[in-house]
Amino acid sequence: MSGLAQVVPVRQDEVVVARLEGEIDASNRGLVGHRLRDLVTNRAELMVIDLSGVTYLDSTGIALLFELGAELRQRQQRLRVAVPAESPIARIVSLTGLARAVPVHPTVDAALVS
Amino acid sequence: MSAPRLDIDHRALQSLQLVTDAALAYLSEDDLLDELLKRMTQILQADTAAILLLEPDGRTLLARAARGIEEEVEQGVRIPVGRGFAGRVAAERRAVFIPDIDHADVLNPILREKGIRSLLGVPLLIEGRVLGVLHVGTLTPRQFTTDDRDLLQLAADRAALAIEHARLYEEERRARENAEQASKRLEALQRVTDASLAYLSEEDLLQELLVRITEILATDTAAILLLESDGETLRARAARGVEEEDDQGVRIPVGRGFAGRVAAERRAVFIADVDHADVLNPILREKGIKSLLGVPLLIEGRVLGVLHVGTLTPRAFNAHDRDLLQLAADRAALAIEHANVYEQRRLAEALQRRLLPERLPQIPGLEIASRYLPAAAGGLGGDWYDVFGLGRGRIAIAVGDVVGHGVAAAAVMAQLRTALRAYAVQGSPPAEVVQAVNRLMWQLGPTAMTTLAYLVLDPAEEQLEIVNAGHPPPLLLGPDGEADFVPLQGTMALGVSGTAVYHSDTVAMPTGSTAVLYTDGLVEKRGVSIDEGLERLCALAAGRHEVEALCTLLIEELVPDAPPDDIAVLAAHVPELPDRLTTRWPAEADALADVRRLLRRWLSTRAATADEAYDITVACQEACANAIEHAYGPGRAELDVELSYDAGRVRVTVRDKGRWRPPRGQNRGRGLPLMHSLMHTVDVTHGERGTVVVLERRLEGDA
Repeated sequence: MSGLAQVVPVRQDEVVVARLEGEIDASNRGLVGHRLRDLVTNRAELMVIDLSGVTYLDSTGIALLFELGAELRQRQQRLRVAVPAESPIARIVSLTGLARAVPVHPTVDAALVS
Repeated sequence: MSAPRLDIDHRALQSLQLVTDAALAYLSEDDLLDELLKRMTQILQADTAAILLLEPDGRTLLARAARGIEEEVEQGVRIPVGRGFAGRVAAERRAVFIPDIDHADVLNPILREKGIRSLLGVPLLIEGRVLGVLHVGTLTPRQFTTDDRDLLQLAADRAALAIEHARLYEEERRARENAEQASKRLEALQRVTDASLAYLSEEDLLQELLVRITEILATDTAAILLLESDGETLRARAARGVEEEDDQGVRIPVGRGFAGRVAAERRAVFIADVDHADVLNPILREKGIKSLLGVPLLIEGRVLGVLHVGTLTPRAFNAHDRDLLQLAADRAALAIEHANVYEQRRLAEALQRRLLPERLPQIPGLEIASRYLPAAAGGLGGDWYDVFGLGRGRIAIAVGDVVGHGVAAAAVMAQLRTALRAYAVQGSPPAEVVQAVNRLMWQLGPTAMTTLAYLVLDPAEEQLEIVNAGHPPPLLLGPDGEADFVPLQGTMALGVSGTAVYHSDTVAMPTGSTAVLYTDGLVEKRGVSIDEGLERLCALAAGRHEVEALCTLLIEELVPDAPPDDIAVLAAHVPELPDRLTTRWPAEADALADVRRLLRRWLSTRAATADEAYDITVACQEACANAIEHAYGPGRAELDVELSYDAGRVRVTVRDKGRWRPPRGQNRGRGLPLMHSLMHTVDVTHGERGTVVVLERRLEGDA
């Protein structure tokens, strides 16, 4: 990822919480996808991706979240993302209608309790 | 010479004629002595006659010619001067007469065995020097007269003269022969040291030397073996008469075999009979070489190799042969050394050209210029520089100076450059990168010492991170043109200590600033303190942001006509980005982050709000991502991003040379709708020569 983005596992049991930091574009989307998928074990029921540390996300990053959401759904697992309203990526998340496929919450806590 | 007596009778006159006969002069010395003895025995009616000559030691007489007592000569009878009969004649330099041998001191047993009774002897004199003794003897007692004595003396004088002549002639002949030999040797020397040989290539020169050496020394074979770089093996390099040696690349360990011995002992070695000597080389044995003479090729006491000659018949090489061969070897050594030095220089220069970037990379939003000047003496210096992108808009700039010169320094430079790039692109912080490079340099050994200034420039963040390893401080020109050296923590050159810790300093580098990097050759001048050089650099650079002109000025003003050291200068300027800016990027996903950085930097001075900047950036990136995805075909694909700002309107044009493909897959079609949502107008044109996407947005903040 040459330092562009990092995937930080926060919790890994029935619930998987991963924090994404940095910038995601076509150059590192594949690697970020691998890291995220690696965190999801069979006993996981829910995955929450914390996007509050992401400063840039392009359409390929959005596409990655769509794909990940569809994969987990097929395996009876759920995906939620946390995007604070003031985040620079909030606009692209809303413009691309990610929320129609993957529930978007302002915080990780909100994503966990809903 | 004694004058003939006056009272000579007719017989005596005849006898005299017989002795002084001019015809005798035409005889060889041996024949003349024999003839004289024959005539003397006739004239004096003696039974024996003999001539003994003084040996060069001046203390012994040696029988040289004899009649009647030929055994004297055959047995090489020697008589000490002063003793015995002949010894007495020589010592007393006068005639001695012995009437009866029984009562006299006669040493020579042959005289006694022969039964000689009476003896008359006279000295052979030349200018008062005794050359020898002539004596006659009779088997019956005889009373020799003074006439007999005078006649014998006359014959002795004649003999002395002939002997002296012969000796003079022999000396002259020898001198002439020596002169001829000397002239031959001189000619041989000239052939070996011939200046015109210098115009031959090393290969041809060695071959020609071997041809001449085999001719001059009349040998059947000649070969040159050179020491391999391991210093332990000799390898055949040129051969004559034993071409197989060259063809098969025969290798001989130093210290073993004939050539190995010559190299190990650094002196000439002569082997009279090859069959019984320690000769490793099977080719020499198979050829049937009988005698070998070998000399070392030496340069300043270093052994470069061995030159040897051989003969198919046994031959005793003499000191002259050895000296001549050594001379040829010296000549060959010089040629080889020249060729080596030349080759090393050629290689080094080629290497250095490879090591310095031929053209600095075109980095959008950055102006860079550099100069490299080799030292006046030519050859390879240790200065180098490199510039490369680190991603996310950051640029790495390195300038270094490897200690030492030549191929070794160039090799270190190559490793250093590769290592720095490799560690840098891993994304580690600059101090860690330098630390990793230092560990590598340390492992390479003491020849790998180098100073390094490593800079990571982030134009978007307006920051410069510097790690300095024993290098002169970089010069920074602020946007106002004021020049100052970057104060840095003192750090050690690379390769000095394996555990050295390096720190980075981060300094502000606002847009409009210029960084100047250089090597010590620019500021060091013999007889002038380095501080003075630094001051001049600072004063010259101040206010000059145009990097090409700046580099030219610094070289012109600071570098002497014949720089003793090589010099590298590099200047990097972060310009204000103009309203219209065209940038070219590789059509690779890795370039996206760089494009983003530059776009943000450009937008930041165009009164765009954070949201507007974000929208425009995302839209531009989507267009770029499409171009990258569609960039296919031969060669390295590129894409152009043109930015323009006019009266509150931002226009971004992205051009590529690829063919637009309709979006594939359900999640791949988001780019275009996204662009439409983010920008006021989106225009996509597909043509034969590629796709052009034009995005426009009015900035509200400016409206």
